[in-house]
Amino acid sequence: MSAFLLKRLARMLGVLFVISVAVFLIFNVMPNEPAAQIAGKSATPQLIAQVEETWGFDEPLPEQYLTVMKLTFTGELVSYTRQLDVDEEIWKGLPATLSLCLGAAVIWLLLAIVFGYLSAFRAGKATDRVLMLVSLISISLPIFLVSSLALNYLSYKLELFPSSGYVGITEDPLDWAYHLILPWTTMAVLFVGLYARVLRANLLEVMDEDYVRTARAKGLGERQVRIRHVLRNALLPIVTLFGLDFAALIGGAAIITEYIFSLGGIGQLTANAVADLDLPPVMALSMLAAFFVVVLNTLVDIAYTWLDPRIKLERAQ
Amino acid sequence: MEGSPRRTALRRLRGDRGAIAGLVLFAAIVVFVLAAPLWANHVADTGPNATHTTEKVEVDGEPREVVSVEGKPVGPLWLGAGGKFFLGADGRLGRDEMVRLMYGGRTSLFISLTASLIATLSALALALLAGWFRGRVDAVISFLLDVIWAFPVLLLGIALGTALAVGGLQLGPLSISAGSIWIPTLIGAFVFAAYIARPLRGEVLALREQEFVKAAVAGGAGSGRVMLGELLPNLVPTAIVLFTVNVANMMLLEAGLSFLGAGVQAPDASWGTMIAGGFEQIVSSPRLMILPSTMIFLTVLSLNLIGDGLGTALNPRSRATTEAHTGRFEAEYEGA
Amino acid sequence: MRKLGAVLVVCGAIAASAIGVAGCGSSSSGKEGGTLKVSFVAGADYLDPQLSYFAEGWSSMYNTYLPLLTYAHAEGDAGNEVIPALAEDLPTISKDGKTYELTLRKGLKYSDGKPIKASDFKATIERLFEVESPGIPFFTDIVGAEDFLEGKAKEIAGIETDDETGQITIRLVRPRGPFVNELATPFAAVVPPGTPAKDQTPNPPPATGPYEIVESNPGRSWSYRRNPEWARNNAKLMPDLPSGHVDRIEAKVVSNDSTQVNEIEQGDANWMFDPLPPDQVAEVRARFEGTQYRTVPSNSTYYFWMNTTRPPFDDVKVRQAVNHALDPAALERINAGEITSTQQVLPPAIPGYEQFELYPHDVKKAKELIAEADPADRDVTVWTLNISPNDDAAAYYQDVLNKLGFDAELKTVNANSYFTVIGNPSTPDLDTGWINFFQDYPHPDDFFRALDGANISSVNNVNLAQFDDPKVNAKIQELAEQQLGPEQEAEYAELDREVMEQAPWAPYGNRSLSLFVSDDIDFDEVIWSPTFAGDLTSFQFK
Repeated sequence: MSAFLLKRLARMLGVLFVISVAVFLIFNVMPNEPAAQIAGKSATPQLIAQVEETWGFDEPLPEQYLTVMKLTFTGELVSYTRQLDVDEEIWKGLPATLSLCLGAAVIWLLLAIVFGYLSAFRAGKATDRVLMLVSLISISLPIFLVSSLALNYLSYKLELFPSSGYVGITEDPLDWAYHLILPWTTMAVLFVGLYARVLRANLLEVMDEDYVRTARAKGLGERQVRIRHVLRNALLPIVTLFGLDFAALIGGAAIITEYIFSLGGIGQLTANAVADLDLPPVMALSMLAAFFVVVLNTLVDIAYTWLDPRIKLERAQ
Repeated sequence: MEGSPRRTALRRLRGDRGAIAGLVLFAAIVVFVLAAPLWANHVADTGPNATHTTEKVEVDGEPREVVSVEGKPVGPLWLGAGGKFFLGADGRLGRDEMVRLMYGGRTSLFISLTASLIATLSALALALLAGWFRGRVDAVISFLLDVIWAFPVLLLGIALGTALAVGGLQLGPLSISAGSIWIPTLIGAFVFAAYIARPLRGEVLALREQEFVKAAVAGGAGSGRVMLGELLPNLVPTAIVLFTVNVANMMLLEAGLSFLGAGVQAPDASWGTMIAGGFEQIVSSPRLMILPSTMIFLTVLSLNLIGDGLGTALNPRSRATTEAHTGRFEAEYEGA
Repeated sequence: MRKLGAVLVVCGAIAASAIGVAGCGSSSSGKEGGTLKVSFVAGADYLDPQLSYFAEGWSSMYNTYLPLLTYAHAEGDAGNEVIPALAEDLPTISKDGKTYELTLRKGLKYSDGKPIKASDFKATIERLFEVESPGIPFFTDIVGAEDFLEGKAKEIAGIETDDETGQITIRLVRPRGPFVNELATPFAAVVPPGTPAKDQTPNPPPATGPYEIVESNPGRSWSYRRNPEWARNNAKLMPDLPSGHVDRIEAKVVSNDSTQVNEIEQGDANWMFDPLPPDQVAEVRARFEGTQYRTVPSNSTYYFWMNTTRPPFDDVKVRQAVNHALDPAALERINAGEITSTQQVLPPAIPGYEQFELYPHDVKKAKELIAEADPADRDVTVWTLNISPNDDAAAYYQDVLNKLGFDAELKTVNANSYFTVIGNPSTPDLDTGWINFFQDYPHPDDFFRALDGANISSVNNVNLAQFDDPKVNAKIQELAEQQLGPEQEAEYAELDREVMEQAPWAPYGNRSLSLFVSDDIDFDEVIWSPTFAGDLTSFQFK
C-alpha cells in the first residue's frame, strides 16, 4: 500500500510541476508586457527597462520561473498590477468563497438526498418522474442566467435580498446568511439535479444487493433497511463525487456567482487576475486549485479501490 | 431468444417517451438553425452582422427607430414589419436578434458537435491504449489526464484568446487564424477528452477481464485486433452516451469562453457571445440574455434526454454513464 | 463649534475670491456631518500619490494629499485653473522659462502633527523617481533628474530648498509650458520625508488635506475621516481650499456596475464614481434627471487612429473619407447618448479648442474619395479592446469600412493587454483601431503629444497613427516651451485644424460622464472637477 501511496504522491508532484510550467509558459507566450504595464502608459523605454530590471523580467525564462516558484512557496508573491501581497489577498477572499461553496453544497446535498431517495423508492411512479424532470431541468440551466435573473428580479426589482457584499460570519451571523441566501440558492438550483440523479442511480443499484436482501430477511423494518443500509451505502460515491467537484466549483461556478453578487472571494480574484494577465496571483491560484484537484482525485481513487475491488488500479501491477 | 442487443436497445429507446421528446426537440432546434439563410434572405432581409444603428423600420405604417438616441434597441416587432426584427434589435448596433439567434445557433452547434466528436475519438484512443497496455503507457496517459483535469481552463481560454487575437497560431503545417472558431473548439476538445477518457478507461479495465477478450488473446489476436475488434465495439454504446452528454457540456463551455472573450470573436454571433452581450443589457432588455440562454437550455435539455434514453437503452446500469454526468460538472464550471 | 467656525471662514473666503465654488454662500440648508458612502467598480489603483495614475486614485486623493499647487474646486473651465495649495502663490517663472520659484506656506502640518518643510518637496520628487512612478516623464526636465533616475546622482540637483525661508527653486533643462499643471498633479503631492520608496497603499502616508485615509484594504475598501490637523491648523493657512461637509467617507469596490446603480437608487450608497452602465442610462435619466442625476463633461477625446505608414491609410484621401463616412448619430446611439460629436483633437474645455467641421457626414463624398484614391490594399484590421461600448463602436467602424469597399476584420484584445499590443509598432496588421484619451491635466500639449513624430516609440507608443510631419512636430515642441496665453491658444487652435486637414485620426466624440447621487445628498452642491471627478469636499447630506 505504501508503495502505491508513494507512487501517487510522486505523480501528484509531477502534475503540479507540469501545471506550474504550463501556466508560466502560457503567460510568457502571450503578447503581454508586464514591465510596460507596471511602468504605466506614459513610460519611456528607459523607464520600462528599469522596471524590467527591478522585477527580473530581463532574466532568462528558466530563472524567472524559479524565482516565481520560490516566491510562491515562501509566500512572498507580489502581484504585478497592484503590488499587493498575493497570499494576503487569497486569505482575505477565502472566507467568502468557502461560505458560498460550502453553504450552497449543504443545501443542494440535503435536497438531493431527499429527491434521490424519494425518486428511487418510488421508481417509475409520478413522484419519480416529476423529480427527475425537475433534476433534468436543473442540470440544463446555464448558471449566469439563473444568477442574473435572480439578482435582477429578486434583488433589484423586488428588493427582497441585498445585491452585493459579503459580511463575515463572525461579524454578524444573520447578516452573513442574509447576504448569501440568493447566491446559495442560485448555485444550489444548478447542482441539485445532478446529485439527485446520481444518488437515484446509486440507490437503484444498491437496492438489489445481497446484503440489503439479507437485512430485510433479518426482519428489519423497511425504513430502517432503506436508510441504514441502502442510503448509507449509496451516499459514499456521492461524497467522493462532491470532493472532486468542490475544487472545480471554486474555479468555475463560484467565479460567476461571486462576480454577479460582488462577493469578493477568491473566485473573483482569479477572474480579475486572469483578465489582467497578472502572473503572480494566477500562478498561486492555479497551483492552489490544481493541488486541491489532484489531492482529492487521489483520495477518490484510493476510496474507489477500497469500495470496489473489481477495479484494481496500480496495485495489479 | 432475445433479438440482437442493438434491436433491443432500439426497442427500449422507442418506448422511452423522454428520449423521443428529446429527439424531437433537438431536431426542431437543428431545423431552426439550418433555416437561418432562408430567414435572413427572404424574411428579415439582413445578415447577422449588419448594423442598423441609425435606421428606421416601418411598423404598421409608422417609422420606428431601430436604436433610440439613448441607445435602447427596439423590442420584438413580431410580424409588424414583415418579419424584420422579429425578436427586436440586439443592442446599440441594431442587428436583427432573430437572424443572429439562428446563425449563432449554427456556430454554437458546430463548435459543440465538433469538439465533442474530437474529444470522444481522442478519449477512445487514449482509453484503449491506457486500459489495454497498462504499465508505463497507462502511467503516462493517466498522468496527462490528471494534468488536464487540474488545469486552469480559464487561463488557457483567455491566454489563447488574447494570444491568438493578435497573431493566430502556427503549429508546423497547421495554421489557425486569429478569431477562428477552431479556438473554442480545440479548447473544448482538449478539456473534455480528459473527462471522457476516465470513465472509458475504467470500462476498458473491466472489459479486459471478460471471457471473450481472454478468448481472443488465446486465439492469437494481436493488441491491435483486440483493441479495435473486441474492446472498441463494446465501448461504442458508452461512448455515444458520453458524446451526447458532452455536446451539452460543450455548449455551456462555449458560452463561458465567449463570455470571457476567448471563444467566438466579435462581431460574429454564437449563443455564447449573445449571452455575453445580453448580460450587459439585462436591466433594460432582459430578452437579449434570456433568448440565447433559453436556446442553450433547450438544446442541453434535449441532449440530456437523449443521452439518458440512450444510456438506459444501451446499458441499463452502466456506471460509466453516471460518471459521464460527473465529468460534465467539472467541465461546465471549470470553463464557465 | 470650532469646526463650524472654520467652515464659515472658508465659505466667506471663497465667496469673496469668487473662485466659483457652488453652494457655500447659497441657501444651503444642508447639514454638516454624516458618513458618505462611495462605490467603485475598480478600486483606486494606488492610494499612494506618487504612484497613482488612474482617475479612481486621483479622485480619492484630491483632498487628502496636497501638492504645492492644486486645481480650483469648481466645475468646467473654472476647475481647470491652477491655484496655490501648500505654496503661498503661483510660481514665479524666469524669463527664459527655465526657473520656477515658490514659497512654502509657514506653519503647515501633516495629519500626524509633524511640520511640513520645504525640503519635503524635494524628497517627494526624489521618491517619485525611486518608486519608478508612471509620472516620471512629467518631471524628467528638471536639472539632474535623469542622473538621479539612473542612479548616477544621490539627489536631484535642480531642486533647491531652504527650510528656514520656505523657498523652493526648481531649475529645468528646457522651458516646459505644462510644468505648472504637472506640479498640481498628485504626483507632486508632498509626503513626509522618509516615506518608504515602495507602494504605501496598504498604509497610506499622513495627509495634508481636509480628509485623511484611516483604513485601507487595497482593491476592496478604504475609508476617511476629517484630518484633525486641517481644522486645527492647515485650513486657516489655506482659506481658499474647502474643508468638506461630511465627517467620514467610506469607499468600497462593487464589481457589478448594475449593483452600483441599484444601491444608489435604494440609498445604500451615496455616490458612484463610475459612469452609468450604458444599459441603464435611459432609465436613470428618465427617473432622476435634475434631481439626482446629471451628465458632466470630461476632457477626453475618443477617436479611431489610422496608421499613416501603411496602406490603405497612408493615403490622406482614404483617411478623409473615413472622417466623412462615420455617422455621429450612430456613434451617439452606440454610446447611449453619452458622447458629444467632435472632429477636433482637443476637447471643448481645453484651452485652444475651437470648433470647426472639416468633414461633414457624407457617405457619397466618402465613396468618391475612395474611388479617387483607389487603394490597392483593401485588407484592413480594426483593433479594439473588449470593453463596452467601445467594442461596439469599433464593430460599427468595421461595418462602415466594409460598406466603403474594404475587407475589414475586427480584432478584439483583452483590455489589460490592449495598449501594450497596439503600442508596439511591430505588431502585425496594425492598420487602425479604437482609442481614447483622458487628460492628465488641462493643457493642450497633453493631447498633441500623441501627434508629435518625436514620440513614436517602440514600446507604449502613444502616437498610434505614427504621424510624423516635421512642421507639426516643430510647432508642438515650440508651443510646449511657452507659457499658455491667448496667443498660444490661438496657435493651438490653428494646429488642431492643420492636423485634422491631414486626418491621421477620425475623432468621433468627447465622452460625458455622469454624476448620480442618492436622494439624501444635496444634489445642487456637488462639484464635478474636470480632473478629479466628484469633489469629496462638496458632498453634503440634505
